[in-house]
Amino acid sequence: MTLLNELATPIVMGLMLGGLYAVIALGLSLVFGVIKEINIAHGDLVILGSYFGYVAMTVFGIDPILSLIIGMPILFGIGFVIQKYLFNRAFKISMDATLIIAFGLSLILQNTYQLIWTPMARGLTTSYALESFSAGPVHVPLVYLLDFLAAIAVMLFLHLFLKRTYLGRAIRAAAQNRKTAHLMGINTDRVYAYTFAISMALAAVAGVFLGLTFSFTPISGMSFLIIALGVVVLGGMGSIVGTFVGGITFGLAQTLGGYFFGVAAQMLVAYVMVLVVLAVIPRGIFGR
Amino acid sequence: MKAKIPRPRGVLTPLIAVTVVLALFPVIGISRAWLLYLFLFFIYLSMANMWNLLAGYSGLVSLCPAAFVGLAGYTLAIGTWFGLPWYLGIIFGGIAAAAFAAIVSFPVFRLKGIYFAIGTLVLPEVLRYVLTIWIPIGAPVYGGGSGYTVKGIADVSGSHTYWMALAIGAASIFLMRYILSSKLGSGLAAIRDNENTAASSGVNVFSLKLSSFVIAAFVTGIAGAIFYVYQGYIEPVSAFSVRWLVIVMLATVIGGEGTEEGPVPGAIVVVVLYFLLARYGEISLIIQGSILVGIMLLAPQGIMGFIRKTRAYRYLLKFIARL
Repeated sequence: MTLLNELATPIVMGLMLGGLYAVIALGLSLVFGVIKEINIAHGDLVILGSYFGYVAMTVFGIDPILSLIIGMPILFGIGFVIQKYLFNRAFKISMDATLIIAFGLSLILQNTYQLIWTPMARGLTTSYALESFSAGPVHVPLVYLLDFLAAIAVMLFLHLFLKRTYLGRAIRAAAQNRKTAHLMGINTDRVYAYTFAISMALAAVAGVFLGLTFSFTPISGMSFLIIALGVVVLGGMGSIVGTFVGGITFGLAQTLGGYFFGVAAQMLVAYVMVLVVLAVIPRGIFGR
Repeated sequence: MKAKIPRPRGVLTPLIAVTVVLALFPVIGISRAWLLYLFLFFIYLSMANMWNLLAGYSGLVSLCPAAFVGLAGYTLAIGTWFGLPWYLGIIFGGIAAAAFAAIVSFPVFRLKGIYFAIGTLVLPEVLRYVLTIWIPIGAPVYGGGSGYTVKGIADVSGSHTYWMALAIGAASIFLMRYILSSKLGSGLAAIRDNENTAASSGVNVFSLKLSSFVIAAFVTGIAGAIFYVYQGYIEPVSAFSVRWLVIVMLATVIGGEGTEEGPVPGAIVVVVLYFLLARYGEISLIIQGSILVGIMLLAPQGIMGFIRKTRAYRYLLKFIARL
């Protein structure tokens, strides 16, 4: 019983951390599922969201979560431009070109952050960031609960958006078959640009909650990208439910790995899991 | 889709001549600075050649040269701690990298394209964690995050490392020529053009890709180990750094991905950029990232794409072929 009591906290924390990973991975999964491109700059774009929250908090004194009202449209715009002027063109050259351009973009972003914000670790330390709550044997920081709630809200919103709106249906059509969608009068280039833009708006949300949960540096994007890739592959590309399940799996792997093997090894556990997932179920649980 | 351009023929004699001349440089008293530039050029050239073999010819955009470099470097360094001579350490480094490539090919090759990239992206990060935590041989200040010195290299001079680098650089060029004219090369070309057609025509896609992955790992590992003989010191952060990927990708893309000669001008540009921008830190990498994006968008065939179109280059090829 004592083991179970001791495990209760890492399990609950892992579940809620899984919410954060799901939000980080959702944007990646959307781009992956619709445009079939792997955006290896996604982690760095999430960190851009974190730095936006940081600036809003330290310079303008706005609560980071509230600042998303401005942050999401800004990243939406940036995403639209990136897809329209970079990836839509790269896509027509070759698959490799997209990957190499995304890598170049990632280099540019990381080093721009270092230039502006120095390599020092930052965090979004709000008044509620250090609070925690207890229920029985479980002690969990409040921000972990916020991560989980944000994940539910974002997924619900995305699901409704893809099901109910015209743009959402166009995105799903382009995901299923680009050529047919094009023949049906859908401007696929434009739909792709909107898809990437939405993915960036999701990155803004992910970035702020990441900043509330962990401290981040200009190069943090890489480790979160790897976890997000694992989440997307495990969940099956383009599946919202799959991404959620994948996120929770990786959240649990990290907190339980930290519990059993020490904090130093918790990222290693998550990374090795990515390789195992690639080897064992490369199409994911909910993959088509 | 790529334009058919004749491969340079009969370049063997001039290549050997150039190699011999370059080998004489330390003897005739070229300045140390120039020897260093050339040393880095040879190391980068061999790694870029191997990256080109994977990305340009095998359809495998590998994101893990750092894994091969770091693993070979560590094999060398830790080997010398156990009393292994450095020259055997270099060989074992290459073998370790190749063996690692063969082992990870199982998870990494399961699916094509995107999944290969994801798998290879994770490898250097995993190795960095492992070598930060795992201390194979303990000593008061060494091991873990602080790394190891390479022992027993007191009698290795700058000229020696220069010659070794020249050897692996030249060997990588000859190897590329050999591979591309062999059965492996034509199989890879078939896969690149259409993987399904190649597979149904009896080309063993998996084994060909595995061969080029293991060969690339071996040569990249040897070059990495030679680099660490020169540096004399290895630690996890720089050994498994993404900068190795930046270097080889930049050299290949600038020169022209999928062109056999591309890595040569590409590696020259990378060495020049390295010393030109060394002072500027972050801005240097911002510029390098912008070059990657710019070239891929505007001139995906790189420098060789331009040069091959010029008439002078065609005359040069004819001239060499007649030698």
